[in-house]
Amino acid sequence: MATRPGDYTHFKSIVPLKRVSIGTKYWRYYDYGPKSVPPLICIPGTAGTAEVFYKQILTLSSKGYRVIAADAPPVWSHQEWVNSFEKFLDTIGVHHVHIYGTSLGGFLAQLFAHYRPRRVQSLVLSNTFLDTREFAAATTWSSLITWTPEFLLKRYILSGIRDGPQEPLIADSIDFVVSQLETLSKKELAARLTLNTTVGAIGQVLVPDSDITIMDTNDYCATPQALREEVGVRYGGARKAVLKTGGDFPFLSRADEVNLHLQLHLRRVGVEALVVTKGPGGSDDSAQGEDGRGFLQHPDLGMPPAEGGTGEGSSTSSSNSSASEAYRQKAGLGNEWTMCPCNATDWDSRKKFPLDLLVAASIEATIQGHGLPNDGLLGGSKVSIMRYWQLAMYNLY
Amino acid sequence: MATRKRTLLKVIILGDSGVGKTSLMNQYVNKKFSNQYKATIGADFLTKEVQVEDRLVTMQIWDTAGQERFQSLGVAFYRGADCCVLVYDVNVMKSFENLDNWRNEFLIQANPSDRENFPFVVLGNKVDIDGGNSRVVAEKKAKGWCTSKGNIPYFETSAKEDLNVEAAFQCIAKNALKNETEEEIYLPDTIDVNNGGSQSKSTCEC
Repeated sequence: MATRPGDYTHFKSIVPLKRVSIGTKYWRYYDYGPKSVPPLICIPGTAGTAEVFYKQILTLSSKGYRVIAADAPPVWSHQEWVNSFEKFLDTIGVHHVHIYGTSLGGFLAQLFAHYRPRRVQSLVLSNTFLDTREFAAATTWSSLITWTPEFLLKRYILSGIRDGPQEPLIADSIDFVVSQLETLSKKELAARLTLNTTVGAIGQVLVPDSDITIMDTNDYCATPQALREEVGVRYGGARKAVLKTGGDFPFLSRADEVNLHLQLHLRRVGVEALVVTKGPGGSDDSAQGEDGRGFLQHPDLGMPPAEGGTGEGSSTSSSNSSASEAYRQKAGLGNEWTMCPCNATDWDSRKKFPLDLLVAASIEATIQGHGLPNDGLLGGSKVSIMRYWQLAMYNLY
Repeated sequence: MATRKRTLLKVIILGDSGVGKTSLMNQYVNKKFSNQYKATIGADFLTKEVQVEDRLVTMQIWDTAGQERFQSLGVAFYRGADCCVLVYDVNVMKSFENLDNWRNEFLIQANPSDRENFPFVVLGNKVDIDGGNSRVVAEKKAKGWCTSKGNIPYFETSAKEDLNVEAAFQCIAKNALKNETEEEIYLPDTIDVNNGGSQSKSTCEC
């Protein structure tokens, strides 16, 4: 099956889903990118799964960053989440973390930073809040969450997503998240809603403001603006990386901008990407001795295309060896890249620098921009599952 | 009172390397100037709250690396830009001659809906150097170019002496805001000032 570099099918074919048991429960996660780099951990909101960050995983790993996107098993209190997350990190051998948390994920990231101050080095908080009281107050039936039928829980979660016509990339992002929501069990849904509606507030966070980036979307999102503004006030010195548009799921709908901000954030907090940059000047080859594990930048796509079907099936298994195999495969595919393959009129004859990571990101962004990848998993049908749910509910009443 | 959506203005600074893009931005946002030259890697941005007429807006100012070929920067930088600032060094002819290229490349990359009227502002920087004796681009020449490109506002600045920087950025903010407001008129569907009644009781975060 043909996969386009950067699309979800491509992601599934090269990045293995892993599971690790914590007590009797399993964390699902993706862990991709060079192991020697301190990871960026992505934590989704109520409706998201680890998969919603596939564009971050693909792009940032190709830039030499390590990205982990994790889904917690059903846990029923904030404290239990913190404990479980800590054990998860211990189990996968990660000590210090940089966390990118969106909405509920951002709340949990702050909570973890509060309770485990020494482990959290930096935070990227997106469309999130400091306090669940408003959600708790609005959910008078929260004690009944575990008794609520699955379709009602789904409907409830979906009610936070804005209805009405959307521009294509945002519509696709909603479709994708809705399709992910379909994969969650009733127990998982109930646990997420419980976390979101249990009264809780963020205590002191010791991460300095200079190591926090707040990445909100300026058009709209389900987190009320007043709550988001509280986050900005609390971390007054944090960097405000506002996205003009993007809706609730900018990591999908504005992936190139989000990835750029994540890179800027990581660069700011001192995370060095592991890349082999081989600029035309040939001055920057030092990193290349890394036995083929160094991440190379494909000349024009950011990610090497998956070649043929070989190895794709095995890479979805959870073993570590297949992951490193995937790395090697990647490393072998992208040989070296040069400044800009399209050698148009060189009006600027000044010295060319080895391509910076960010610029490499942009090449990919350019390509994405032209290609308008369709991430909707609904096979071209633009009738989203969300609408389906709404219609179904309408008929019930 | 319903909270009003904050206005975000995205401003892109372009120009040859070493003309003082980062210095101008730093002078404007942080009121700081450093004589040490440090090449910008890829891109970076700063934000500043500014009062434009009677509105408080957030300006997100993107500083790009002049060394890089423009095409390699990609759309993420330029998406949604409200104003493009073209900077040259009045002491370096080449940096002035390249304004045309920067402008064209911006229009190609950002692809604004109204190319003819997209707001640019041109800054001739480093007027302080050598008391103006090393200057090679005459003000008249620069103004002529600006006029020929649809009356682009022109400022002569010195990031070092903080000369005209505030005035230039005020003009940038004003023009950016004008552009932003026009966009709102073009795309009424995407604007939701009141944040939608249906969302107020939502308890879920997605």
